[in-house]
Amino acid sequence: MAYSELIKNFNRIRDYMREFYVYGFKSRDEFTKKSARSYDDERRRLESWLGDYMRFRQTSDGKSVFISIDSRVSRHNPLYAAWKTKSFTDGDITLHFIIFDILHDPETTISLNDLTESIDAYLESFQEPKTFDQSTVRKKMQEYVKEGLIIAERKGKTVYYRRTKDSSLPNLDALDFFSEASPCGVIGSYLLDKAEHHEEGYFAFKHHYITGVMDGEILCNVFEAMADKKYITMETINRHKDRISENHVVPLRIMISSQSGRQYLMAYTPRFHRITSFRTDNIVSVRIDDVCDQFDDLRGKLDEMMPHLWGVSTQSRSGQHLEHIEFTVQYAVNETHIYGRLEREKRCGTVIKLDDHSTKFVADVYDASELVPWIRTFICRITHFECSDKALEEQFKSDIRQMYALYGLEGGENN
Amino acid sequence: MIFSELYSAYYQAVATILKEACTHPVQVSELRKIIDQIAFGESVLNIEPALLEERWQLIRQDGTTPIQHAPSMPLTTLQKRWLKSIFLDPRIRLFYDNPPDYPDVNPLFTADDIRVFDKYLDGDPFEDADYIRNFRMILDAIKTRTPLSIDSLNRKGNTVRRTLMPEYLEYSEKDDKIRLIGSGCRYGGIINLARIVQCTPSARKFKYKPDKEIQIDHRTVELEVIDHRNALERVLMHFTHFEKQAEKIDQNRYKVLITYDNDDETEMLIRILSFGPMVKVVAPKHFVDLIKERLIQQKSCGQ
Repeated sequence: MAYSELIKNFNRIRDYMREFYVYGFKSRDEFTKKSARSYDDERRRLESWLGDYMRFRQTSDGKSVFISIDSRVSRHNPLYAAWKTKSFTDGDITLHFIIFDILHDPETTISLNDLTESIDAYLESFQEPKTFDQSTVRKKMQEYVKEGLIIAERKGKTVYYRRTKDSSLPNLDALDFFSEASPCGVIGSYLLDKAEHHEEGYFAFKHHYITGVMDGEILCNVFEAMADKKYITMETINRHKDRISENHVVPLRIMISSQSGRQYLMAYTPRFHRITSFRTDNIVSVRIDDVCDQFDDLRGKLDEMMPHLWGVSTQSRSGQHLEHIEFTVQYAVNETHIYGRLEREKRCGTVIKLDDHSTKFVADVYDASELVPWIRTFICRITHFECSDKALEEQFKSDIRQMYALYGLEGGENN
Repeated sequence: MIFSELYSAYYQAVATILKEACTHPVQVSELRKIIDQIAFGESVLNIEPALLEERWQLIRQDGTTPIQHAPSMPLTTLQKRWLKSIFLDPRIRLFYDNPPDYPDVNPLFTADDIRVFDKYLDGDPFEDADYIRNFRMILDAIKTRTPLSIDSLNRKGNTVRRTLMPEYLEYSEKDDKIRLIGSGCRYGGIINLARIVQCTPSARKFKYKPDKEIQIDHRTVELEVIDHRNALERVLMHFTHFEKQAEKIDQNRYKVLITYDNDDETEMLIRILSFGPMVKVVAPKHFVDLIKERLIQQKSCGQ
C-alpha cells in the first residue's frame, strides 16, 4: 500500500511514539526486525506531524530517532497531533461538508431521498460528478447519529434527519487548562480547534506527563464501561516476553500517577477473585461486554482497600496481607520543611512528630516495596528504617551500601 | 470514537478553505497557506491535489465552492461528555461561577472513576472565593498586559510586596498548585497563588521590558543507568517531561542526559536518589558532590 500521512489504526503509531518519546535510543536496525518499511513509514509520519520535536542522533549502532519535548515550555501537548490523523475516503469528506451544509439550519429536517437528491445537486457543477447511492448516505447518517451530530426521527415510514442543536463553545481559558490537566485532554484540544480566535499561552504545566495521551482510546472505552457498570475484555501485552493475553475483568477505577506519568486500571478479575492493577500503556484493546451486577460492591471493596494502597499494588511479595513499614528522619531547627514534606507527601501513611528534630512515618500497606523510592528521597537524614518484610528491609539497607560504593565512599558494598 | 476523522487536521484545514471559498474564489497560494497553518508538514502534498483534481468534490476548478455556509459541526456526544466531566471538577470554579450543563449526556468520567494517587495533600484551595478572585484578576492582567501589585506571604510568614508584569500561570498536578510567573521583578517573579494576600492592578508605570519568554536557567545532568529491576524504563518514564537523550553504553548500562531548570536542582537531586543504586550521577561534578554529600550525611545517621 502506498504511503499515506494519515492512519487507520492508532495502535501501531502508539507503539512507535512510545519508543521514540520514552526511550529514544534504539537504532533503525532494532526496529526493523519485523518490517523496515513499516519503521520508515511511521518515522516519516511522526516527522510530518511533530516537526522539530523529532530529533536524530548518529551513534556507533546507527542513526537513532527520538522525540524530545520539554512539557513545561510547550503550552499544549504536541502529541495531540497524532490523534488528528485518522484516514478517510474521498467520499467521506465530500459527503461530510455537503451534508452539514444542507443541514446548516437546525430547523431543517430532510428525508433520505431528498438528502440524496440535494447531494447530487451540489455535485453536478463538477467535471465528473460523484454519485452517492441511498445506502451510502444512510450509512453515513447512521454514523453521525451515533456520534451525536444528527438526530433521526421516524414519521410514518419515513426517517427524517436534522442536525443536533448547536451548543456554544465553553470558556476557552477553561478548555486551555483542562485540555492539559484532565484525562482524555485531547478532546479539549479538539474543542479548541473549533474556536475561531484563540490565543493560547496563558497556562504552562510543570511536572507534566504527556505520555498518557497515547492511551486515550483505552481510557475512553474503560470510562464508558464503568459508566454502564459493565465487564470488559481487554488484551494486554507483556513487553518483556512480547506476548499478548486476554483478560475478562470488571473495570473499577483509573489510577493516575502525577510523579511517574503512569496510568493504571484497577480491575476485578473474576478468574482470580482479586482486584489488581493493569498499566494502561500495556492495554492493547478493550471490548465492552455485559453488565456486572456486583459493580457497586466491587467498587466499594476497592474503596475499602484505598487506605492501604500506597500506589496501585494490592499484593505483597512477602505473602503478608498487610505489611508494616516505618522510618524516622532527623532534621535541624531550620529544616522544618522536612516535617512539612512528610505531611504533604504521606498519602495513606501517618506522620508522628517525635521532637523538634525528628519525625516518624508509619504505614500499613499491601505492598511496602512501593514506598522505597520515596523513602530514598530522605537519604541524608534516615535514622531508623524497619519493615515487617525483612527481605525488603535488608534490600533497602543493602541498596544504600551499594550507593556508598557507587560513589567510592567507605562502608559501601558492591552488588 | 475518540480517534475519528471528524476531529482530523485535514477536515479542519478543508473547513477553513471552504469558509474562505464561500466568500471569494480561493487561489492555490491561499489554499497552501491554510494547509500549512492547520495541517502537517506533508499535508499540502495530499490536500491540494485532492481538492484541485476534484477527488474531494468541494472546490471547483475556478476556486469557488457549492458549499453555501461557512462549515460548522455541532458538538459530538463525546465532546459534551468530556465537558460535563470537567464541569464536575472543583477547579472549574476558577473559570465559571455556574458552569453550563449538557442535560442530554452523562459525564465521560466522574471523581469516582479516577484518582491521582500521589499528588501532594496541601493543594491550592480552588473553591475559595479569594483565591478565585485573585486567579481571575491575574488571568485578566496577563491578557491585558497590566502590571500587578501583589502582597504575598513568604516562607517565614511575612508579607512581601512585589510589582510585576504577569506573564503566565503555571500548574503542577503533583503539587496541585498554581503559580504566577511574572517578569520585571528583581525579587523573583514566581508567586504561589495560595500565598497571595492581596492582588491589585498597579498604576505605576512599568519600567521593565515585558519578556514573554521567561528565561529558564537550563542545566544538564548526566546519569548512568544500570538496567536492573526494570530501572531503565522507570527512569525514562519518570523523566519524560524533560528534554532528554538516552544512549546505550553496553549490555545493560545506559547514558541518560536530562536538561532541567536550575531552580529545581534540589528536587532533581532527590528524584535521582529515589532510584537508589540503579542510577549514578556521572556529571557535572558539583551534582555528583551533592549526591556524595547526602550519602556521607546518611552514613552518619547510622543506617
